[in-house]
Amino acid sequence: MKTLKELYAYRQMIFSLVKKELRGRYKGSALGFLWTFINPLLQMAVYGLVFSFLLGSDIPKYYLHLFVALVPWLFFSASLTGGSVSVIASKDMVKKIYFPREIMPISYVTSAFVNMALCFLVIFAVMLLGGTVPPEGEQFQITSLLYLPIIMLVEYVLALGGALLTSALTVYFRDLEHILGILTMAWMYLTPILYSVDLVKNQLIAHGMEHLYWLYCLNPMTPITIAFRDIMYYGQAPHLNTLVNAAVLGLVFLVFGYAVFRKLQKGFAEEL
Amino acid sequence: MEQGYVIEVKDVTKKFKVYYDKGSQLKERLLFRSRNRYEERWVLNGISFKVKQGEAIGLVGHNGCGKSTTLKLLTKIIYPDSGTIEMKGRVSSLLELGAGFHPDMSGRENIYTNASIFGLTKKEIDERMEDIIAFSELEEFLDNPVRTYSSGMYMRLAFSVAINVDADILLIDEILAVGDANFQAKCFDKLMEIKKQGTTIVIVSHALNQIEQICDRSIWIQDGKILAEGSPRDVHPQYLEFMGALRQEVADKEKGRQEAKEKVQESEKERKRWGNRFAEITEVTLKNESGEPQSVFSTGESFWIELKYTVHQTVEDAVFGFGIFRNDGVQCYGTNTRIDQTPEFDLTESGSARYHLEHINFLPGKYLIDVTIELGDGIPVDYYREVATLEVYSVVRDAGVARIPHQWEFLGNTWEGKEDSGNDRDNAAN
Repeated sequence: MKTLKELYAYRQMIFSLVKKELRGRYKGSALGFLWTFINPLLQMAVYGLVFSFLLGSDIPKYYLHLFVALVPWLFFSASLTGGSVSVIASKDMVKKIYFPREIMPISYVTSAFVNMALCFLVIFAVMLLGGTVPPEGEQFQITSLLYLPIIMLVEYVLALGGALLTSALTVYFRDLEHILGILTMAWMYLTPILYSVDLVKNQLIAHGMEHLYWLYCLNPMTPITIAFRDIMYYGQAPHLNTLVNAAVLGLVFLVFGYAVFRKLQKGFAEEL
Repeated sequence: MEQGYVIEVKDVTKKFKVYYDKGSQLKERLLFRSRNRYEERWVLNGISFKVKQGEAIGLVGHNGCGKSTTLKLLTKIIYPDSGTIEMKGRVSSLLELGAGFHPDMSGRENIYTNASIFGLTKKEIDERMEDIIAFSELEEFLDNPVRTYSSGMYMRLAFSVAINVDADILLIDEILAVGDANFQAKCFDKLMEIKKQGTTIVIVSHALNQIEQICDRSIWIQDGKILAEGSPRDVHPQYLEFMGALRQEVADKEKGRQEAKEKVQESEKERKRWGNRFAEITEVTLKNESGEPQSVFSTGESFWIELKYTVHQTVEDAVFGFGIFRNDGVQCYGTNTRIDQTPEFDLTESGSARYHLEHINFLPGKYLIDVTIELGDGIPVDYYREVATLEVYSVVRDAGVARIPHQWEFLGNTWEGKEDSGNDRDNAAN
């Protein structure tokens, strides 16, 4: 509670750091802020070409199927890997002056979040131009978009928990930064981003292991990805189960990440 | 915490790990276990003090005594190993000015960023903007990037932000070294003003006179413990006496090293020495009134210059002399037996001599002493330059080269009254 109050008092600092991060990222490049949009578009083009033409995926409008999951994933992985160095990167400040240390991971995750929100503008454009894929006999329900802020918030909570954890641990253990690169790559393939979650279900059934599906759902990014896809690819409200699954895992992550951060942050100034 | 107090520090201890060779990578941690050896250094060994609302306290002590660590603990940059620290209200620190300044952003933008680090909201910053700009005297440069600023301008901007935060508790570490003399004076006035408004202030400084002017109380920290606490005028003389003694120790050590060095550099030594060497000065020592060797004295003390000499050949009509130079080359005093018109004598046998110097009124500094033996007609026999050093310290902070004994007299009614009370005190003492 006390921390929340303090963070509220320091809101201007978070605000200006986010601004600095967003403005500074593409500073000096010719296209500048446009890269925020170009980057995911190009990624979508590459993955889309490889999977629908070379590998011949039978998922209709594969590019959209991929894109609605890839953008949230990029936010999450950026929070983990980029967030992990957020405290180290500002070590001069941490060593010299007091402010709630949580601000560093918070502002990094927030700037990545704003980035994701901007990419959604591109998704909306693609949805409008290319159309969506509602299940048979169903219509695209515009009201399902109301769930979008909810699931975005859930993912924010999850990403923040992850960033708090990695940023604190990396101070004591620098290798983590590089380990995380590999880890997030593996994690991406464990999440139904390039493929559909039905593929996993079918494979499990084929091997008679469908009772193990809950294990797959322990990956907090699984329910989140499913929800994003429900909303923007199928145009349907996500299942309550999916939402609860995502929210619970997100909160667990946040509480755990915060507890670790609290414990470790006292030694930051001495360790850096 | 008791009513009226805003800072309470209780039995705080702090140690630092000093690694011999630290590895923070996995490989280093696993492969070179032995490198992870470290030494624990206790910086604070149980410090307790309380500060009242609106009080200003100064922390004094020599380098490395733990006073800056105490201040860092107060700002919550680091945390104690045991003990508790309680603080009430918004804390602003002038420990590291300009933290978070971005060189490519303009002065104005940096004011926003920097102030936000102190926990101010945009509205609060806007309210203070004018004060900050006016205080920094940088109006014309405010829209230039900070990297184009001189270091003085940079510090001025940073100080202006920090001091305009309107904190309840202000922590300061050696800050009044900002900018030129005018700006320093301005900072100082601002501090006094802030103090009047009821802000609690904690200062770490070596400039004792600044502490005396601002602070109500001084805490002297030595080896991680509080050695003395009280009004600055009581604590500081004790502290200075202690530092004087400490310097004597250092001076002794230095002298030992110097002697060893001088043996090697015999030729260089020669340049400091000339004469026909009919007689030779073999040893020069400064001694205090009780005859013990001492080279650090307080202003106004008396001492002896003692020298031994060997005679190789009779020196007719010998003249002994000495000179005292400040280490920047100013001759402070010099005389000899001829100037003082002592009876003439011939030097035939080796022996020693000593000169009593009464009440050397030099102000604090380092002084070098020349000792000479000459013939009556001024031909040097052994002129030995900078053969001894003398250090002077003082608890009084008067300025100049030497202290002139003085009295103050005020003519008028007030003076009469004071004189009466002075007489009363004397009578009471008798």
